[in-house]
Amino acid sequence: MSALGGSGPAPGGAMDPVSSVIGLVLAVVFIGVVFVLAPAALMPLLGIILGGVLIGFGVHFVPVGGAPAAMGQAPGIATGVAMLAAGAGLAGLFGGAWAAELGVVVATVTGAIGGGLMMAITCLMVNVIYVFGMGIPAASGKVTKDPLTGDTQAEYKSQGTEGHGLPFISFVGGVVGGLFGGGGGTLIYLMLLQVYEQYLPAIFNAKVEEIMPVAVSLAGIFAIGLFLVNAVLAAYNITGTIEGPHDPKFKRFPRAIVASLVASALCGLVAILIVVVNLNI
Amino acid sequence: MVENIVFGIGITALAGALAAVAGAAEDTESDIGSQGDPNSQVQLAPQMGFIHRIFNKAVAGEPPAYGLWCALGAGLAWVFLVKDINPVLALILGATIATFVQGAYATSGYLGRTASLAKFGQPVYIDILKSMLSVTMAHAFVAIFTTVAMCYLMNATLGHPFPLPLLGLVWGIALGAAGSATGNPFYGKERQYQNQKFGAGVPISASGNIVRYAEAGQRNSLDNGWFSAKLGGPASGVCFGLIVFLELWRTILFEHIAAGWGAIIVGLAIILVFVVIDRWVEVYARKNYGPYTAPEEASS
Amino acid sequence: MTAQITVTEGGISHNTLMIYGLVGSIVGIYLTYLNTVTGTQLFSFFGGLGAIAALIWGSSTIKRLCSYGIGTGVPSAGMLAFGSGVVAMLLATKFGIASPIVALVLGLVLGAILGFIANNILAMKIPVMIQSIAELAAVGALVMIGFTAMATGSFTFSLLSVIPVTVLGATANSFGTSLIGGGLLAAIFMLGSIALQHGFNACLGPSEKQDRTLMLTAEVGFLSMLMVAIFSFAFIGIGALIVSVLVSVIGWYYTYAQYIALSRRDAAAWLDSKPIVEAEGH
Repeated sequence: MSALGGSGPAPGGAMDPVSSVIGLVLAVVFIGVVFVLAPAALMPLLGIILGGVLIGFGVHFVPVGGAPAAMGQAPGIATGVAMLAAGAGLAGLFGGAWAAELGVVVATVTGAIGGGLMMAITCLMVNVIYVFGMGIPAASGKVTKDPLTGDTQAEYKSQGTEGHGLPFISFVGGVVGGLFGGGGGTLIYLMLLQVYEQYLPAIFNAKVEEIMPVAVSLAGIFAIGLFLVNAVLAAYNITGTIEGPHDPKFKRFPRAIVASLVASALCGLVAILIVVVNLNI
Repeated sequence: MVENIVFGIGITALAGALAAVAGAAEDTESDIGSQGDPNSQVQLAPQMGFIHRIFNKAVAGEPPAYGLWCALGAGLAWVFLVKDINPVLALILGATIATFVQGAYATSGYLGRTASLAKFGQPVYIDILKSMLSVTMAHAFVAIFTTVAMCYLMNATLGHPFPLPLLGLVWGIALGAAGSATGNPFYGKERQYQNQKFGAGVPISASGNIVRYAEAGQRNSLDNGWFSAKLGGPASGVCFGLIVFLELWRTILFEHIAAGWGAIIVGLAIILVFVVIDRWVEVYARKNYGPYTAPEEASS
Repeated sequence: MTAQITVTEGGISHNTLMIYGLVGSIVGIYLTYLNTVTGTQLFSFFGGLGAIAALIWGSSTIKRLCSYGIGTGVPSAGMLAFGSGVVAMLLATKFGIASPIVALVLGLVLGAILGFIANNILAMKIPVMIQSIAELAAVGALVMIGFTAMATGSFTFSLLSVIPVTVLGATANSFGTSLIGGGLLAAIFMLGSIALQHGFNACLGPSEKQDRTLMLTAEVGFLSMLMVAIFSFAFIGIGALIVSVLVSVIGWYYTYAQYIALSRRDAAAWLDSKPIVEAEGH
């Protein structure tokens, strides 16, 4: 809907090649700047970009129905997509940050599991409410058969609605989205923590253990900020609601991957520059 | 990490209980205030000609709003803790001031949205504002205090590296997301559209026709809160309580097995258990409720 | 949202509000530098006033952007603004006295690139997208640096991360009790982002009036300022704290009373304990 004109988001999912190339060139420039100014932070920056891409991609799996879902008119969860993904990703970040001393791989996977666990519980409770509290079975409005279970959907859709609840493919999509979001957010946090632990002691002339609170808080607030930026960009890509991986809108994800790549490279560059720029003024 | 596992498990149980209370209070508060996605119906109703006496609290959605109240409560508690004020007092003060902010936002949300619906003749009911506000603030206090207390336990006793305000932000957003996902359909469909047929979604043609005259005269948000506190609230509490409890439980018990991989495998196993339960729930509904139409008649 | 987002014409133009907000916030934040000049912390509250000026600017930007129907609602614009704003603000604090200007410029650049990504790569094709996201990121950065300056009395990185504490007669550096080390940025982040979008979001509707929307933004701005004043309890002296709290309370009370009066002016009816007034034909 547009009240003032403007053509609105392009239908389908066509990628605009010119701006995508410009974006990728920008990303290479940002990586190059870090390579020149702080070579030790190059791998972390690539990790941050990977984390951002995981978040942007993962948001596309999460089934969100928006306002109609709150009335049983559309399938999906009745919350905003960026904030639901943020909730799952941050719950994962909580677990991943706790496991930070155990190494990057273990901590990232822990964060991913944390996010997936939150989405699994939330999606289950949504279905429990629909089935046992409202007497409504789950049905999708976008496919005739559930791709994973083969259940037919059309006859379980109540009249005048687009579907309701969380069919199995949407549930699995939600869990996968939580896994990617939690893993991506944790990866960003761990990479930034690595950079700050390396550079901050020299800036403050203190030991690593002493500056840890600043490093943890900086990395944490950056991870949350980057998470929100990537989640909102992905939400813009799917224009607010999506049923899950079976939704035709899901095919738009390549655009979101490029967008997250460039945005994460940019924000990662700025986050790393904080410990590189030392003007002493 | 936690040295004493028994102590850790005790704190985990307490944190899980606090989280369950927080989830229930959060959902009831957002249903009394009518926040988030179901609120779009409260906003739409006057535009379709249905004037109502429901509290129209338009304060973002539940995840960002609760992210704010809990981060604010935790931040204030952190400030008082830094100044060596007793921890319990710091938590209570922080939660109280955050609740005051919530009340101010709720009031301005109602006044703003209702005044902007003047074109459709929706009046501002001052008695609705006065009656609902104290109730929604009370529930918000319970939700904020339990969440901030839970975060304090995680930081101070379980040794999580994040400082208190950051934990407040993380769990505030998670609380809002879990409570909103679970409680919104129950309030939105079951109570707001109680006059529609049970066991089916609301048809698009009925949009805006929310229940305005009900059991005891003209319905207001306290009636809605009374209803959703019976199932939607506790379900949200179970949801958020399970999230916090299982996250802490698998970490505390299994973190040192296989250098962290123990907790991961247990987490994966729990996810698979929930997948199986969900599939059972879905099949139960299909078998016991049956289709709305015969499969051959239904067109894709 | 199923409800319509309609835009109302008239009132002060966006560019005027942008200029006033920009200049007002830069001036306000720089006035906190009087702290360093005079050696006190009494002027910290100017940071909060600067942040409110930026919030009013941002509120007009959000209204302009969301009237094009971006499909995800108003709060996500606030999240995008502050997500990028906090990134810009933290780098800007490393530039000493030039920090507010750098925050503004860096916010504009960061937001412009993000707007380009959203508009061209994601093909949203909204005419004001790049400019609006650039403005929003700049507003986010300015609000964060303004509130941070109000809470601690300064806006340079080293002063935000380290607090000298005296233990048993010896002075040591404490990182955990500083604004950044203690994670208080998270609370300021949420205060700002919800305040930014609340003005437009809460006054959404066909009868929205600009003066009421801006007054609401000022009211939540002063409310956030009051909260930041309480935060400053941990960082600045009791005299400066009382000044900050007083300015915030007086500002909040005035804008809140004005907002209620404006709502009364605009509402269809202002009823107390009256039944539902049925619309014609129902």
